[in-house]
Amino acid sequence: MALRQAEHLCPHATFVLPDEEAVTRIRELICAALYDLAPVVEVRNEGVAWLDLEGVVSPGESIREMRRRLLKAIGREPRLGLAPGPFSARLAAARARPGRLVQVSDAREFLAPLPSRELPLDAEQLERLDLLGLRTLGAVATVGPRELESQLGRDGRRAVLLARGFEPDELTPWRPPMFTSAHRQFGEPVEDREALLFVARALCGDLAEELGLRGAGAKHVRVRMGFEASEPEQRASIVRHPLSSQAELFGLVGSWIKEWQPRAPIAEMWIDLPVLEGAGRRQLRLWAGGDGSSEEVTAALERLQERFGDEIVVSGAS
Amino acid sequence: MQEIALESAINSIRVRFGSQALTRAAELPPPRPWRSATPLDGLTGIGGVPQGRISLLTGSGTCGKLTLALALLARATHDFAHALVIDGGGFDLSALTPFSCELGALTVVRAPAPEIAGEAATTLARAGAGFVLLMSDVPEHWLGPLESGANRSGAVIVDVVDAPDRALAHASSFSVAFARNDWIWDRGQLVGLRASARCVKNRVAPPLGETELEVRYPLGPRPVDDYTLGVTESPIHIVEVRPRVSAAV
Repeated sequence: MALRQAEHLCPHATFVLPDEEAVTRIRELICAALYDLAPVVEVRNEGVAWLDLEGVVSPGESIREMRRRLLKAIGREPRLGLAPGPFSARLAAARARPGRLVQVSDAREFLAPLPSRELPLDAEQLERLDLLGLRTLGAVATVGPRELESQLGRDGRRAVLLARGFEPDELTPWRPPMFTSAHRQFGEPVEDREALLFVARALCGDLAEELGLRGAGAKHVRVRMGFEASEPEQRASIVRHPLSSQAELFGLVGSWIKEWQPRAPIAEMWIDLPVLEGAGRRQLRLWAGGDGSSEEVTAALERLQERFGDEIVVSGAS
Repeated sequence: MQEIALESAINSIRVRFGSQALTRAAELPPPRPWRSATPLDGLTGIGGVPQGRISLLTGSGTCGKLTLALALLARATHDFAHALVIDGGGFDLSALTPFSCELGALTVVRAPAPEIAGEAATTLARAGAGFVLLMSDVPEHWLGPLESGANRSGAVIVDVVDAPDRALAHASSFSVAFARNDWIWDRGQLVGLRASARCVKNRVAPPLGETELEVRYPLGPRPVDDYTLGVTESPIHIVEVRPRVSAAV
């Protein structure tokens, strides 16, 4: 029902519009929570999330983990559906109790008794289906795709395929955002380097937490210092391996700040990460400290060998 | 009276050269400690060898500094992806045999000249090597880049020298002077030594003074080939004997 129609029917009602920002934030939160559970994850604003479990080694574990993470992220038990495609999975989940899973093996059989109003059609098209006497998905499935296409256009053909359990729609995979930034404005301009380092460390902590949620790492780091009466100064660098932890980010940012000679007291500080990529590309030997820079050390040793000869470097293992 | 005079001197330096020109060690944020499981941890005041700083082990002759450095190196091969030795010509890989050392993580850089040693140490510290043991002279102009490189990456730099020159002493954040007190004999055989280790400079925490070490050598002649690499049968023990009172500032 359109909002104007609702207002006309119920003039004394208070209409609360959805908070788009909050919805987007929750969607991002859910995406980040489910990101690494399946190759394709789609989350829609209306509160439905899909995981394509094709090729996943242990789908059961993914589903259990999904339930746990969703409960942690949103504080509610999710309704879960497992079916051959997104349409039937959504309907299956809608019929599950909170925290439980409805599993569908034969989509057509499962869909047949369900009302045709479940189809993703607009109100006019649904009314037309009703007039045609097609009140269940089973009834829609018996009609030929071309016949319904002649009545409802291209959506009619799609509706028949959906009702037959053919699942013509594909998921749109969520990708982590490619940019993030943290910013701090100072009440009074700051010239104390220790204070700047303290703030930079806190900003790096915030960014690292966000990167952790998104499963991303920074490939490009930029620090900008804003002044009260002049153009900001900036320093930027592309890093070879994505940085994702506070220590890694602050290692780079802190070293810049330590040698920065700003021309005036700092009024604002930004730490931008303009290029992000999946941090999962890094393969860490988690038990060894400093392993994140292992390749840099190997490259440095190779450079020394190029300059001073191969015999300069002796490996302990050899 | 002395305190007032000192405070006045500190204030005048700060007024003239800025608030950061002179900072009390206790007011600085301490560097992250690397717990080496050696008595050195107790001397630093932060519970471990400072990361991102240069630490010095000094002392003339046989006083236990190299044994302690090798124990640190062996431990570092387990804790870090890369443990490196910058060798000016006196490092023998077989000296590590009695220690339980993970040789896969160890790399030795043979530096025939101090200039090369300085460049290698700085490059590797900047690249993020976890632990660098310096056993070579480093020219003065490399000390600044080495210090900042280590500071940036958090590398632990340990330098073993008999007596540091002024530049190295200035660049270091933590310095321990070793002095041999006594040999340890057992049934006519030399089995170790007792040495005192005194903290002579500490920029990471208030100085914690002095301790006495007992360094035990492995017993019996044994050819190097008898040892399985990376596995120790008779490890060298470094035992802290008795802590002494903290030194005054």
